[in-house]
Amino acid sequence: MKIIKYVLILSGLLACNPARSRAQNAPYERILHAPSEPQSWLTYGGSYSSQQFSSLKQINRANIANLKVAWIYQPSKPVSNLEASPIVADGVMYVTEPPSTVTALDVRTGLRLWSWSPTLPEHVVSIGLYATSRGVAILGDTVFIGTADSHLVALDAKTGAVRWDVHVADNAMGYAMTGPPLALKDKVIIGSAGSEAAVRGFLDAYDAKTGKKLWRFWTTPRPGEPGAETWGNGAFQSAGATTWNNGSYDPELNLIYWGTGNPAPDFNDDERPGDNLYTCSVIALDADTGKLKWYFQFSPHEDHDWDSDEPPVLFNAPVDGKPRKLLGFANRNGFYYVLDRTNGKFITGRPFVKQTWAKGLDANGRPIPAPNQEPTLGAGTLVYPSITGGVDWTSPSYSPDTGLFYVSAHETGAYFIKGTGKIEPGPPKGIVGGGGIRALAGEQSYGAIRALEATTGKLRWQFKLLAPAWVPVLSTAGGLVFSGSEEGNFFALDAVSGKPLWQFYMGHAARSNPVSYEVDGKQYIFITAGNVYLAFALP
Amino acid sequence: MGPNIQAIPMRLGAPAVENVIKNGMSGEMPALAGQVDEAQIQQVIAYLMTLTHKDTGTVTGDAAKGKTVYDASGCTSCHIISGEGSGAGPELTKVGQLRGAGYLKTTILYPGSDLPQARVFLESGGLLDYLHIHLVTKEGGAYDGTRVVEDSFRIVIKDVNGKFHSFQKSGLRVFEKQPGKSVMPSFKDKLSNTQVDDLVAYLASLKGDQ
Repeated sequence: MKIIKYVLILSGLLACNPARSRAQNAPYERILHAPSEPQSWLTYGGSYSSQQFSSLKQINRANIANLKVAWIYQPSKPVSNLEASPIVADGVMYVTEPPSTVTALDVRTGLRLWSWSPTLPEHVVSIGLYATSRGVAILGDTVFIGTADSHLVALDAKTGAVRWDVHVADNAMGYAMTGPPLALKDKVIIGSAGSEAAVRGFLDAYDAKTGKKLWRFWTTPRPGEPGAETWGNGAFQSAGATTWNNGSYDPELNLIYWGTGNPAPDFNDDERPGDNLYTCSVIALDADTGKLKWYFQFSPHEDHDWDSDEPPVLFNAPVDGKPRKLLGFANRNGFYYVLDRTNGKFITGRPFVKQTWAKGLDANGRPIPAPNQEPTLGAGTLVYPSITGGVDWTSPSYSPDTGLFYVSAHETGAYFIKGTGKIEPGPPKGIVGGGGIRALAGEQSYGAIRALEATTGKLRWQFKLLAPAWVPVLSTAGGLVFSGSEEGNFFALDAVSGKPLWQFYMGHAARSNPVSYEVDGKQYIFITAGNVYLAFALP
Repeated sequence: MGPNIQAIPMRLGAPAVENVIKNGMSGEMPALAGQVDEAQIQQVIAYLMTLTHKDTGTVTGDAAKGKTVYDASGCTSCHIISGEGSGAGPELTKVGQLRGAGYLKTTILYPGSDLPQARVFLESGGLLDYLHIHLVTKEGGAYDGTRVVEDSFRIVIKDVNGKFHSFQKSGLRVFEKQPGKSVMPSFKDKLSNTQVDDLVAYLASLKGDQ
């Protein structure tokens, strides 16, 4: 009897304090149920749904004013282009340091447990992007990183020892990895950047144990493949549609959802007539085979550099009274979309920022082009939104508590200029942009955190920012929305009203997901900015 | 090492500047395409355009006489040149390197009418420098001055005496940005045309090389 009692007590302790009960082991079943384990942060966006939502509520509207810095970590050498979002599991935080270092930190103190850096070539090609890493994935006792020179590396979660290292793509051709992998079941999914180097985009799956390649889906078709007709005579060199951020996963449908980048060249469309599939789209692939289940192209024949690489947000909500499996996407082209994620069918969409390039969306969600909004020679054409869109790659947040979709919106336009630019065979000599933009002068631009009704896109409230911000968003069950300003403020808003409740000046804009975790009964809010990794908690 | 490009970007236009930045110049300047990203290139272009944004007009006055005008007109009470003067307004030691004669004249006659661009954010043109601010706190305190720095929650201004004042925007009852106004007085009715031209010549000669 005593033994049974002891076992019960022990199991009770384990249930209460999972962070201390396990030693770096996050199997698939655990990640699958990440929303019910809010003390951890097991994927880039908090769960396979990429909702950027935490159900922790120790930090809430009533006490947020008391939030203070709990610890700070700084890399041993100053870094630039810090965009690292963490994974938190079993008392350890896994972060990256630009360009491709993985560091494990103690979540209570910020002290470094181990660090691993790849041996990068002397000259890493990074065309049209920063050589950085937005984070790692975890599966079981292994963490995975895509490196700046396009290797996928598996590291032991306890030591940082290399388990395996595969060369995914040729960095000399412009392939460079910046996005976090997505680990599910027994595999690791990873894409690459490089559209401005005119590489052909892809999404790959590798065996998590061995690194063996399981499948590849090319995101631009070549002659003879379905969709090649959407490139006209340019199909033989179809390029772009790179997959440089994180994706989402629906385990019930066994579908991976991933956004794709712009076609190449960006602004000169002379040699790529047609819709240019599957650029500027969200693609849904069977997780086991990599076969395309459906796609939805936000911006057919795109020529404003409006990638669609924001992580797709999955949520379930009623539409017209019926429960639906939905996918929300605040696109760089300025429209917010709601899709049926079982089949990719368009449900609704509307602009969430000023846009001038489309008269609207048709019944299938295809944009109805407005006249004279293409890049032109000389002074260019003023188009809204700007090159970085209504929002770029930074994660929005969906709160199941409020039913709102929170996005850091950019209100600005730009003059789009068409130039010369052709895809040449061989290693790229520079950006294959075929033009550029001229930013608006003065104080004509601003940013805003906007709360949209997730199923309709209607604006519920906004909190204006001095400038368009590239800072992801987190919402919590504490009734809070966290994000940042381009000037370096980290702040919390009331999730229902948008009222500002707290701010902390970090001295530099953040570029990473704010996330939340809990250890020893204390909730933390974490973000990186400039050269620092900051954890906040109540005193 | 490289050429003085101050007057060049405006003459070439943004697309040509972009082309040079991205592709370099044979044997002279390395191509930056691939070394820095599109957003950074746009920031560089935006900055370069501001360098010459004001560079219109030619110097017609006498710089030596202009120095006398400068010393006699109270300019030193707000500006520093080579360490001499007071710092309420912007330092002018290198103003001839940064601003053209036309812009200098406009500013002397109509201060605040054409503000240069200051901080450049990633995707917008950036904020105006020396923007005039009028604000009133919830307690009733009224302040006027030049914006020094602003973020989404706070602002710091510098008053006519050069004193800094910082505020939480949530604590303000009135917060007005007033482009066109300036804490600097106009010298339109205080100086003759010749004196203004001489003053412009003096300021345009200040390259900060002593």
